[in-house]
Amino acid sequence: MTRLFQRHTRIAVRRVQRKKSPFIYKSYSKKPKHRLLRKRKAQEQRFRRTGLAAIVLASLFLVSLIWNIVASGYSAFTQVQVRIPVTYEQGLIEKEAYRTIIQKSLTELFPNVENRSEKRALFGLISRNAPYILQKEVQNNPSLVGERHEVWLPVSSQISIFYKQELYRQGERGGSVSPTEAAWITALAQSKRMRLSFNAAFFTNGDSREAERAGILASTAGSLLTIIVCVLMAFPLGVATAIYLEEFAPKNWFTDFVEININNLAAVPSIIFGLLGLAVYLNMFGLPRSSSLVGGMVLALLILPVIVIATRNALQAVPRSIRFAAAALGATPTQVVFHHTLIYALPGIMTGVILSIARAFGETAPLLMIGMVAFVVDVPKIFTDPATTLPVQVYLWSNNPELGFVEKTAAAIMVLLAFMALINLLAIYIRQRFEIKW
Amino acid sequence: MTQATQKEKQETDQPVVRMKSQDLSVFYGDQQALFEVNLDIYTNQVTALIGPSGCGKSTFMRCLNRMNDYVEGCRVTGKVRLDGFNIYKNNVDTILLRQKVGMVFQKPNPFPKSIYENVAYGPRIHRLVKTPQDMDALVEKTLRRVGLWDEVADRLSSPGTSLSGGQQQRLCIARAIATRPEVVLMDEPCSALDPIATAKVEELIKELARKFTIVIVTHSMQQAQRVSDQTAFFHMGHIVESGPTTQIFTAPEDQRTRDYIGGKFG
Repeated sequence: MTRLFQRHTRIAVRRVQRKKSPFIYKSYSKKPKHRLLRKRKAQEQRFRRTGLAAIVLASLFLVSLIWNIVASGYSAFTQVQVRIPVTYEQGLIEKEAYRTIIQKSLTELFPNVENRSEKRALFGLISRNAPYILQKEVQNNPSLVGERHEVWLPVSSQISIFYKQELYRQGERGGSVSPTEAAWITALAQSKRMRLSFNAAFFTNGDSREAERAGILASTAGSLLTIIVCVLMAFPLGVATAIYLEEFAPKNWFTDFVEININNLAAVPSIIFGLLGLAVYLNMFGLPRSSSLVGGMVLALLILPVIVIATRNALQAVPRSIRFAAAALGATPTQVVFHHTLIYALPGIMTGVILSIARAFGETAPLLMIGMVAFVVDVPKIFTDPATTLPVQVYLWSNNPELGFVEKTAAAIMVLLAFMALINLLAIYIRQRFEIKW
Repeated sequence: MTQATQKEKQETDQPVVRMKSQDLSVFYGDQQALFEVNLDIYTNQVTALIGPSGCGKSTFMRCLNRMNDYVEGCRVTGKVRLDGFNIYKNNVDTILLRQKVGMVFQKPNPFPKSIYENVAYGPRIHRLVKTPQDMDALVEKTLRRVGLWDEVADRLSSPGTSLSGGQQQRLCIARAIATRPEVVLMDEPCSALDPIATAKVEELIKELARKFTIVIVTHSMQQAQRVSDQTAFFHMGHIVESGPTTQIFTAPEDQRTRDYIGGKFG
C-alpha cells in the first residue's frame, strides 16, 4: 500500500517539474499579467546595481588616495647612506673637528677635486647631521680614538632624493643635483659605497630643519600626551553627564535645553573650540602655551558632546525591563545604574569613546589656535612641555617647500593612518567581544 | 472531602490578611486607571487577578511594591497595607519594601550576568548573608526550590541569558525569592512561555505558595483556576468581584464576571 502510494507521488512530482515553472524570472512574458512583476524585478535590480556602483566608486577614491600617499611616502622609510673611511684622531671634542675628519676622508676618496666651490659641493654630499653621529659614537665608545674605520653615514636630502629616484627609476627629476655631483654618486655607487638602509631616524628623532634628520617621535609623543589629558578630562565628565541626563534628571525645560545644546556642540566647527581654548585656558587661566595640557583640554571640549551622545545611546540600548528587575529587587537608583545599566552599556560607551578619541587624534585646527603648531625638536616629557601632534606635524611639513619633506609628509600621514586603523580596530574588537545582544 | 468538612476547615484556620488595599485609586496624568479598589491578599495563598486588557490589574499589582513610582505622571491615592503598615506613607523606604515584596515580570528578564550572580544579586545588596559559603548555600537552596538546580548546577557561571525561556523565567522567580520576600508578585509570568514550561512554572507557583504569599496576574482562566486560591476580577478599573477561586468560577454573582469567564468578552 505504501509502496504504491510512493510510486504515485513520484510520478506526480515528475509531471509538475516538466511543466514550465511560473516562478522563474526569465519566464515572465510581455503579457500584461506579467508586466507588474517585470517592473518590480527591474526596480530591485536597478537598486542593487546602484548600490554596487556606489561602493565601487567609493573604494576607487579610497584606493587612489592611499596609493597616492604610499607612492610618495614609502621612500621616507629608507635612508641613503654612504660608506667612507674615517680616522678618529686624537683630541676630538668639537663638532667642527668631526666635520673636518669627514671632509678629510672625502678628499681622500676624490683627490682630483680642488676647486673651492666643487669642494663645498663634495662636502655637501654628506648630511650636516653626520658629525653628530660620529661624535655620539666616540662618546659611547672612547676606544675608537686613534683607529680607522669604514663608517656608514647618511647623505644630504638632495642627494638622497636623487639616489632614490635613480634607484626606483621614478620619472620626474626634482632637486638640483649638478652633473659633477651625479658623477660622484655614480662613482661611489660603483665602488659599493652607497646603500639604502631602514630609516630608524624617522621614528627616533623630533622635527628638524634638515629633511633627512626630521622624525615623528616628538610629535607622536605629543599626540599621546594630548590624548591622555583629553581622555582623563572628557571620559569622566562625559559619562557622568550622560548618566545624570539619562537616568536621574527630571524631564523639564532645563534638561531639554541642556540636551539641545549638547547636540549643537557636537556639530560646532573644531576651530571654534580652539578659539575658546585660546581665550579661556591661555588668556584667562594663563596655562602654558603650546603644551599638550592645553591641547588635551581643548580636544576634551571637542569630544565631550560626542561622548555624551554615545553614552546616552548606549544607556538607552539597555532595556527598561532590566532596570525594573533590579529596582524590584530593592536596588537603589544608584545601584541600578552602577551594578547594571552602566555595566551593560560599557561596551557601547567604550566604542563611542574610542571613536571620539580617533577623532581627537586626527584633529588639527583647534591646536593651531593654541600654539601647538610649534617646531618641536625634543620629545615632550611632561604635560606642560611645548609639544605638537602628529597631524599638526603633517601640516607643518606639508608647508615646507624643501623636496625632502614631501616624502616625510606622506610617511607621517601613513603613520597617522596606521594609528587610526589601530584605534578603529580596537573599537570593533570591543564591540564584537563584549557587546550584549538583547 | 465533603462540602461541610471543607467549610469547617476554613473556619478553623482562618487565612491571615498579609496585604490590603483600601480605596486605592491610580491616575496616569488625567486618566484614572483604578477606582477605589479594596482587596485583601491572604498569607500563603495564591491570589489571581483576572480581567480584560487595560482593566488595571497590572496597575494594581505594581501598586503593591510601588513600581508605579517609575511610571511618569502616575499618582496614587488611598492606602496599601503590608502587615498593617501603609506603604504609601512618605517615609516608607521602597528599598526595604521591595525586599519584602518581590516581583516577577511578564517577559523573562535575567541580568546578562552569570546564573549564580542573578540569584546572588538580591541577597548581596541587602547583605542577607555574611560569608561566600552561605551565599553558595543560599543560591543552591533557591535554585533547588525552583527546580533549576539539576539543570544548571554544572554551569552556574554561564550567563543567565543563555538559558531557555522557561528556565529564564524560573531563574527570575529564583532571583525574586532569594531575598526572602513575604509576597511575590507575578505579572503574567507564563505569557511568553510554551505549554510545557508553563506547566512547570505553575507547578512551582503552587509549591511556593506554601512559603510565600503570591499575587499573579493572568489572562488565562484555566491558569487562574489551576493555581489560585483567591480570584479578583477587574473591569474598567474596578474590582467587579473577588473571593475564593472556586466560587468565582462556579457561582459568579455578577453578570460581567459570568460573561468574561464564559468567554463572551475579553
